[in-house]
Amino acid sequence: MNTLRSRSEHTPRLVMGNEAIARGALEAGVSVATGYPGTPSSEIIENLARVSAGRDVYVEWGVNEKVAMEVAAAASFAGLRSLCVMKQNGVNVASDFLLHLASSGTRGGMVLVSCEDPGALSSANEGDSRHFSRLLEVPLLEPGSFQEAKDITKWAFDLSEEIRNVIMVRSVTRLSHASGSVVYGEMPETKPHAFFSHDGDILDPMRGPVISGPVEYKHKKQQEKLQKAIAFFEESPFNTYTGPDTPELLCVTSSAAGFYCKEALRLLGVEGRVGLLKLGTTWPLPPRLMEKYLRLTDKILIVEEVIPFLEENVKIMAAELSPKIGAKVLHGKRDGFIPSAGELNPDIVIAAVAKTLGMTYGSPAATYTQRATQAAACVPVRDLAFCPGCPHRASFWSIHNVLRMDARQGFVCGDIGCYSLGISPTGFGTLKTLHAMGSGTGLASGFGSLGRFGMDQPALAVTGDSTFFHAVLPALVNAIHNKSEITLVVLDNSGTAMTGFQPHPGLPVDAAGKELIALDIVRICEAMGATVRICNPFYLKETERILLELLEKRGGVKVIVLKKTCALSPERKGKKDFNMFVNPAVCLGDDCGCNRLCTRIFKCPGLIWNREKTVAEIDDIICVGCGVCASICPSGAIQRKEIT
Amino acid sequence: MRVFGAKELLEDVHAKDLCIGCGACVSLCPYFKNYRGKTAMLFPCTLPQGRCHAYCPRTEVDLNELSVRLWDKPYRGEPIGIYKEIVASRSTTPHPGCLFQAGGTVSALISFALKEKIINAAALTDREDLIPIPRLVTNSEEVLICAGSKFMASPTVSALNEGIAKGFIGMGIVGTPCQMMAVLQLRSNPLGRPDFRDPVALSIGLFCNWSLDTRQFSAYLTDKMDITQIRGMDIPPPPADVMVLKSVDRERRIPLSEIRPFIPSTCFVCPDMTSEFADLSVGMYEGRAGWNTLIVRSQRGADLVEQAVRKGVLQVSDMQAENLERLSRASAKKKERALRMLLSRGLLNAEGDGKRSVMRIPPEVVGKILATETE
Repeated sequence: MNTLRSRSEHTPRLVMGNEAIARGALEAGVSVATGYPGTPSSEIIENLARVSAGRDVYVEWGVNEKVAMEVAAAASFAGLRSLCVMKQNGVNVASDFLLHLASSGTRGGMVLVSCEDPGALSSANEGDSRHFSRLLEVPLLEPGSFQEAKDITKWAFDLSEEIRNVIMVRSVTRLSHASGSVVYGEMPETKPHAFFSHDGDILDPMRGPVISGPVEYKHKKQQEKLQKAIAFFEESPFNTYTGPDTPELLCVTSSAAGFYCKEALRLLGVEGRVGLLKLGTTWPLPPRLMEKYLRLTDKILIVEEVIPFLEENVKIMAAELSPKIGAKVLHGKRDGFIPSAGELNPDIVIAAVAKTLGMTYGSPAATYTQRATQAAACVPVRDLAFCPGCPHRASFWSIHNVLRMDARQGFVCGDIGCYSLGISPTGFGTLKTLHAMGSGTGLASGFGSLGRFGMDQPALAVTGDSTFFHAVLPALVNAIHNKSEITLVVLDNSGTAMTGFQPHPGLPVDAAGKELIALDIVRICEAMGATVRICNPFYLKETERILLELLEKRGGVKVIVLKKTCALSPERKGKKDFNMFVNPAVCLGDDCGCNRLCTRIFKCPGLIWNREKTVAEIDDIICVGCGVCASICPSGAIQRKEIT
Repeated sequence: MRVFGAKELLEDVHAKDLCIGCGACVSLCPYFKNYRGKTAMLFPCTLPQGRCHAYCPRTEVDLNELSVRLWDKPYRGEPIGIYKEIVASRSTTPHPGCLFQAGGTVSALISFALKEKIINAAALTDREDLIPIPRLVTNSEEVLICAGSKFMASPTVSALNEGIAKGFIGMGIVGTPCQMMAVLQLRSNPLGRPDFRDPVALSIGLFCNWSLDTRQFSAYLTDKMDITQIRGMDIPPPPADVMVLKSVDRERRIPLSEIRPFIPSTCFVCPDMTSEFADLSVGMYEGRAGWNTLIVRSQRGADLVEQAVRKGVLQVSDMQAENLERLSRASAKKKERALRMLLSRGLLNAEGDGKRSVMRIPPEVVGKILATETE
């Protein structure tokens, strides 16, 4: 049962960080919630979608983060409270609009939640969007616990309405995707009415037109708003200090790094020597609060993930306050006490604190290390791989093969989705570039225009169906308009599969499963003037034939839509098309001359190599019965039997 | 014969731009494919030995071994190889609308061999637009579709491999000298398979000075004319120095100087002009339009010609000594040029650890060929 609708309680519940953020928005009376799926942020919108009907919350998966932000902003301009959710990359996408929004200001409370991914556990980068708060000059809040994830989100709406500007709330994977104790608060019972006032004076922030100009005037107003926010931050309960009155060392931290600090100080047994200032309001820093704690000691260690954002701001503050508090020694990423890339963990913080205090912290006992190494050796080495029955494996098989056959050193520009794995052996190393959403088609558009400089390599791009709408469309327009010679392969698996099968504009449903208008990718591309083909990627020969035909064809943009639903989609999950088996009389094993094509190259996890019998076998537990491996077996030993 | 695997094949042939795309490595395994005249390897193969390497006419080809295997005689580097007789020949059956090169001897012989069940199938070269494609035919009507010179490398040997996989034996094949070398290596059972049966009952080799890169040549022609109208192509004997393209209603002449840049570099290491390792070799007959030169090399080749003449399918007449001498000189010249190229690239009889060669020829024969006085 979804607990998000529950009344307030006094006993804590165990909830996921993203659920806590969603609950915070509901307790704040959010009316409109938008976003674009992206790990680790997706569950916030999904949870809100589940309760949307009962609570008059409008939930929308936007086509991309910028549009999602605009949709949320419209709600704010109409006086409603609105939330927009994305992962770190999304903030870059939304930033163009955000820079204007921060200047025009908001009306109904508006909160941007960015869930970020230090260490890039599920991302193509570990970008840190905190710097956007400084660039945009809007307040930044960073929850440091699961309770704070809810409470800060709720409070962010109040703060937004106090200063009439958008508030950034930043979470990270270890908060969003971990679970912890949260005590729920009251739910509001208000039913707001949406109305956009626009007839007032141009300088009237609540009744006039909403624009970012006059720029200098609005910019000054925006900075006044920040000063107002600082006044709240000085008193905020989200900034906490624990430790002695006169510590030897002050650790300044925020977000999930706070967990690591607490653990490190406890494990080192230095809780009585080291103070811990955990900040929840990380930009702009409140100067009086900072003065109070920086004064406590001369040695300061700033502990945070990704870029030295907090570190630089603390250093600026320390410099400004130096006439009052004296000179400080500040350690962090810039002097190498804290690594400048990747996720933190308690061990890293232990090492940094020990180094700062001049302590030696012994490594674990040799027997422990030995046992750990032995245990790790028992874990089989597994490559990142497409799921059994994944349409992408079949698609990349065909794309790879035709590019080899074509032999002009053609290549594929990759994009963001499960199919990003096409860069690795599971996708036969087919992708040769990988950047932002939509960048594959943009790069291909560029490569496809280099024929005038003698480039005769075929340039291809791949995109998923969700990415197609998100950011490929403008790049495709560019390619067609500029007569670029490219082939775009749309890997249409009928959903935003990588992040949990959220719907997108190509599907006829919304976030809550209600009916919407589906846009047809094939007809869109045709209307734009591309040559379009459509094929089921499981039909390898037909896919290869069409791809070769398109590679031969000169004259602008060619599109092939390889349409097959994701193997994990509710539609296909657990339903086999075929019963697969290896005919042991036909599989010649190592005598075949195929050099184990099925288990060495094709490598679907549903295929196994029997070392004793030296033949291929089907793993019936793993196999989903897609039937593709029967098409790649050169001796016809892998066979499929249709399930009737 | 030293046999390695696909890795060595890529290093020795593909990386050195020596692959002609003959099709010998294609249709044996899932790894090698030929598309529009180019052979490509789809995925790496780790097997230490493979038929791909064993059959390839551009790596570790031991001419002496092949000669002994086929003729029971050592390789002596004679300009036009070992043969029984050389005659002029032509088909007796007119085929309106079908444009053979010269006398139609090859089509007549293959067609006859199929009809008489001397062979069960034949690996021939068809064409899709301009692109030569291999075709395994089983009846004489299909032979005519494949008639006519292509002047472009074709993966015809792959059709033989396909036939073998389908269980055919007693197959015929028509191909260029490089393909005849591949076929003979194939027939030698180089991997020593216990269940091996020689699948080839007839090999007809074509005269070949060089071939043209399929993609470059077809791109060139596509720019120049409507290629769908092309019905045949021919290179008339010197001093014409042109290629003639026959379309439905006209002939078009292209100076050879324009197409010579499309000759793959691998053709310059080939020492064989007259398909020395075939049962029969067929080419033009200079100075006698509508006739072929037919070299009868093996006993089974001689038997076939004898039957074909007896049944009135083929007409033969004496070859003029002057023509024979011209053919011999041209062949010797090709041999000498090829050996000099092989030597300059270090690809002949390389000795030492890890050294591999395109070709192995007894040193005394190399000396003899290089001493050939050419005009």
